[in-house]
Amino acid sequence: MALLEARRVTKVFGGLVAVSAVDLSVGERTVASLIGPNGAGKTTFFNCLTGLYRPEEGEIRFNGQPMIGLRPDQIVAAGMARTYQNIRLFGSMTVLENILVGQHVRLRSTPLGAIFQTPFTRREEEQAERRARELLAFVGLSGKGDLTARNLPYGDQRLLEVARALGSSPRMLLLDEPAAGMNPRETDGMLRLIRRLRDELEMTILLIEHDMKVVMSISDQVTVLDYGKKIAEGQPAAVRSDPLVIEAYLGSGMLEGHSKLA
Amino acid sequence: MNRIGMLAARHGLRTGALAFVLLTYLTLIGLPGRLADLAMPVLAGVVAIFFWLVLRRSPQLGGIYGSLGGTALWAGLLAGGFYAVLTAFFVGLLANGVRVQLVFDKIVPQNLAALYAVMPGVLLSGELSPVGWLRQVGLLGLAGVVAALLVAGERRLRRRQLPSLAALRWLPLLLPFVLLAAVIGLGSPAVTFGGNNQGTIRLLLAMLAVGSGIFAARAARPGGGRRVLWALLAAALVGLPFLLDQFQNSVMGIVFIFVMMGLGLNIVVGFAGLLDLGYVAFFSIGAYVYAFLAAPFSSPWLIAQLQGWGLPVSGPLVSFWLALPLTMVVAGLGGVLLGVPVLRLRGDYLAIVTLGFGEIIRLFMLNLSELTNGPRGLLNIAPPTVGGYSLGNPRDIFLLALAGAALIALVANRMDGSRLGRAWVAMREDEDVAQATGIHLVYTKLMAFAIGALFAGLAGQLYAARQTNIFPENFSLFVSIDALSLVIVGGMGSIPGVVLGALALKGLPEVLRGVDEYRIITFAALLVIMMIVRPQGILPSLRRGRELQEQGGSRADQPSVLEALPDSAGESSLAKKER
Repeated sequence: MALLEARRVTKVFGGLVAVSAVDLSVGERTVASLIGPNGAGKTTFFNCLTGLYRPEEGEIRFNGQPMIGLRPDQIVAAGMARTYQNIRLFGSMTVLENILVGQHVRLRSTPLGAIFQTPFTRREEEQAERRARELLAFVGLSGKGDLTARNLPYGDQRLLEVARALGSSPRMLLLDEPAAGMNPRETDGMLRLIRRLRDELEMTILLIEHDMKVVMSISDQVTVLDYGKKIAEGQPAAVRSDPLVIEAYLGSGMLEGHSKLA
Repeated sequence: MNRIGMLAARHGLRTGALAFVLLTYLTLIGLPGRLADLAMPVLAGVVAIFFWLVLRRSPQLGGIYGSLGGTALWAGLLAGGFYAVLTAFFVGLLANGVRVQLVFDKIVPQNLAALYAVMPGVLLSGELSPVGWLRQVGLLGLAGVVAALLVAGERRLRRRQLPSLAALRWLPLLLPFVLLAAVIGLGSPAVTFGGNNQGTIRLLLAMLAVGSGIFAARAARPGGGRRVLWALLAAALVGLPFLLDQFQNSVMGIVFIFVMMGLGLNIVVGFAGLLDLGYVAFFSIGAYVYAFLAAPFSSPWLIAQLQGWGLPVSGPLVSFWLALPLTMVVAGLGGVLLGVPVLRLRGDYLAIVTLGFGEIIRLFMLNLSELTNGPRGLLNIAPPTVGGYSLGNPRDIFLLALAGAALIALVANRMDGSRLGRAWVAMREDEDVAQATGIHLVYTKLMAFAIGALFAGLAGQLYAARQTNIFPENFSLFVSIDALSLVIVGGMGSIPGVVLGALALKGLPEVLRGVDEYRIITFAALLVIMMIVRPQGILPSLRRGRELQEQGGSRADQPSVLEALPDSAGESSLAKKER
């Protein structure tokens, strides 16, 4: 049984069918990639999965539970957390506070508990902070907890987004272009981090990525979208040589995409 | 003239012109007349402080001692010259029988006479010597020199890093106590309802003492010393009501009632970022709920009901203390009631709807005359009592407001660092991401509205007890604007900032009682200048300060740790803990 099961998910904006009857299933503890030319509907599909958009049609099951109609925060509580293509941290908060917000759904203390500083609240806050520091150490940001999130270097901001997502103790991580805008060495670092997420934290990962090196080297399964439709799916090697995929990239004039595929 | 000289001259002219505008404003609102003999020295002092603030921010001139002094002297002489010409112009008009007051209603003979240190009659007869003219130029020029010396001295001390400076660091912390000593030293003038200058100066000193106390409490380094300082400051604050007279206490009482309200609004606007322009609604709900309970005999409908049940209608139904939880509940419910329809609104739209809500509540109070007695208001509201002793006099109200503000500040402070507080800030920064990170937006917003409303309700109850009689006109839009202004001026999201904002916006106008009609324009000017010079407020919260800090501080293009990330953390403690 796959952890994430999407059936015929369709999202329409006015007259534009952004995502059209896309099926996707992601098995537990695997890395699945979603690729496709710009505007293919990848991020829209992500937004449908995480509840930011409500798809017009289709069914999404996570861990066997239906997800459609749930609010984004309920989906996080169910165990699906995400990062964003254009980094969206809480810029004025500290690095540590960002992760504490990430843990929000896993914390139970109430406003009254905070006002009276009950032992439960104090213990929980201590634990949450300790865990936040552990997560920082895991992504490699040890010692940067008290910096303002906005002032982190770009690559570190991406790492912090991952750490914030990990704060909710998810079973599945959705990473939207985690290596975008990174230099080759940073990309390598991100690759290693994704592997460690899968191997050490036993996380299931779905990622959108343009960098074919990333996609081909870590994916167990690759899904290709074009104009909102799924045009190919399978092992990285098979997808790479699929004529439909090559056409999608070349046909839309993306020579760059072709050179990466080749 | 060399380049640096030119630069100094230009800077000086600009500074002088600004000082002149400031002086003109103070004159137009009638300050010199109120200060009488002290007018010129006080104005020169104000200008010296102004020059000092401006000059110490001009590093490019600071290195050259001469040009700094030149700048200051230029500025001073220019301000003095302009000012003297302006006042001479008005003196000339007055002496020639022109009734200037029709247009500039504060340019009365006393006002100008104070500036020339002469009797008003001398002005009207036009027999004025040039000495008065030169006096103004000279004093303001002197102010410039004093400011330059201050800046230069300060810089020298900084550069030398004298060991004795470490001890000097403690001096500012003593300021609140020095001011308090001055308050005591001035003694308690017999009756000072507004008019007495000494009483006004005492009030000003008391307010400065509270304000500087807040800075001192913040500036103290962590450690044993800080605890002692905090304890002393708290003791001084509790002692303050016993040092002030009725009028001063009643002003401080209203200041701290506004602190209570501001702290609530600070949660809604400062923490959660929900712009609420109808905040007065909850203040009035609190006031009216308490008024219904404490003065049911003012409300025709309540009288009928009580008589129907055969209950006495002559006195309060419940005591002040029993009414507290009720007020809190009703005001909190009011907050939720407003919150539900505006859940989906953001920014400007939210502001408009809340604005309407504030007016709706006021119109209810005005037109529901069966219940609220309409514009005739609810009268004879009982003061709080303890063991038969009434706490209705201004001193006790001030004490109660202090206690209430302290309690609310404590609660607000704890909320700030809590799970809910983080959710508020996250929601303010990016509502969509906050939700996608796991924050329940409905709950988080409603909590902000409810807690904010609850605090305003408490403030309203105390306000009703203080006023004894309340009318719908006490709860106009201006109360909302005052509350919002004091939050912004103090520094959004900053708890001590609210106190400073309340002192500045509710307290200072009382000091300048005679110029009260210029309050709104002063606020407006203050807000505009504030937003330009110091957008984060007088004492910003650390977080808001970060939010508004220049992007120059960003290090987004620095190398990330990703470049040196290990292949595996090996014995990562996290890996073991997960499942």
